[in-house]
Amino acid sequence: MSDSGWPELDEDEQALFSEATDRLARRGVADAAADFDRRLDMLSSAASELRASWTTSEARCVEWAGLFLAELDLDGQRREIPCAVAEAGSIDEAAKALGISAPEHKPSSAEWEALRGHARGVVELTGRLETAEDATRELAREYVPTLSRVVGPLGAAKMIVLARGRERLARMPSGSLQVLGASGAMAAHRRGAPPPKHSPTLFSLPQISKSPRWVRGKIARFMAGKCSIAVRVDHFDGEPWDEEQIAEINRECENIRNRFPKPPKRG
Amino acid sequence: MPRRPVKLGWGVRREGRSLWTRNAVRGISVRGERRKRDSRIEWRAWDPTRSKVAAALLLTGNDASDMLPEPGSTCLYLGASTGSTVSHIHDHVCGAGNHHGGQVVAVEISPRMMRDLTALASKRPGLVPVLGDARIPYAVAPYIRSQADWMHQDLSIADQAQTFVKMAGAFLKPGGTGLLSLKAASERSSDGDDDSRFEKAARILGESELEVVERIDLAGLEDQHIVFHVLLPATD
Repeated sequence: MSDSGWPELDEDEQALFSEATDRLARRGVADAAADFDRRLDMLSSAASELRASWTTSEARCVEWAGLFLAELDLDGQRREIPCAVAEAGSIDEAAKALGISAPEHKPSSAEWEALRGHARGVVELTGRLETAEDATRELAREYVPTLSRVVGPLGAAKMIVLARGRERLARMPSGSLQVLGASGAMAAHRRGAPPPKHSPTLFSLPQISKSPRWVRGKIARFMAGKCSIAVRVDHFDGEPWDEEQIAEINRECENIRNRFPKPPKRG
Repeated sequence: MPRRPVKLGWGVRREGRSLWTRNAVRGISVRGERRKRDSRIEWRAWDPTRSKVAAALLLTGNDASDMLPEPGSTCLYLGASTGSTVSHIHDHVCGAGNHHGGQVVAVEISPRMMRDLTALASKRPGLVPVLGDARIPYAVAPYIRSQADWMHQDLSIADQAQTFVKMAGAFLKPGGTGLLSLKAASERSSDGDDDSRFEKAARILGESELEVVERIDLAGLEDQHIVFHVLLPATD
């Protein structure tokens, strides 16, 4: 490229130029919010971070309440526990609300306050998690309708985040999509381990996780191909798939499973 | 006993193992770096562990002042990030209120980084923030007033060397200086170990019209990073 040959600018023009470049840069920064990839990234990451902290907090809350309330059925009553503790005025009230007798050893009042505060946090976190996941689902259903039907809206969102954008996901070969997110396993594969059969997102599909292990790789390969076509349909303005086409995919998964009823013989 | 400062250029000096630039915006640090007054001039510390250009200036075996642009010149900085290194280049090239009449074009693709860079540019006349892809010449061309006397590239992409050759071909003035910061981990998509990746980059630079003056290993300050100091030979 030859010299761009800008004219010498006088002071006013120089001021105009820097004002213009500043505005263009700021507008570009503001326009980032119009990018659905970025919005989906924030939503989906917020949802998965909330999910991670919810699991920890909820487990702690249940174990903590269960320590005092020895008669509690920690599996059957699990969902009621945080609510009951959060709304009770004392450990005895909580026991009553959960339909068991008052405990022998009671927490001190400071301890009870801490326990109840924690339970309230869990209840609030549950609400926030639902809001974030619902919003993610809504955005994903709108942004990638077909892929959302194939792997579910949360899985579709996660795939886009992992691929860093819908366009990049749409341009990815199906083989990359099959192992998207299994980066640790891929690194091990480069050092000689067998290749991963599927990404965590694909594994979370019941078609794969509920299948016997010897067909998981085959189904994952098939599903990755379908996902890859689905995201291309969404990105390049294709006709979104309807229920009939989704049902056909599920039938094909079933076929693959039926074709291999027995594990392969070790040779 | 304080060491005698060594002048590397109008606005840059070295004191032992530390670098300082003449602060163009008095009283303000860009990223919390130290400032000190020396009679009427305020100097701002240029941290070589955070800036690859600073590290290269300290570790070069040649005259470090050859790697710096002249005050008042046109500079192109590809991959400006939040602009901490850019601010030091601006200190030197433009000075307070851009009394040197220099231009530093800072290109960055990430809006998040550009956010901080625009805030910086609004206080520093002569610094031009460009939100765009630094690999595409026509994204940069409208903003730069002439060919660049000095350019630096630090992108986190593979094929940095090829991009550098392309951008230098488009924008570097004959006789101009170029610096290319290379991070081994960013070239991971290519085969081989880190050294062979650097070799590959050196080969690409060597096959171009650019002339590699020095290859500076930043070990100690920034591991697995290399800065290539190149020159575009003047055409007669």
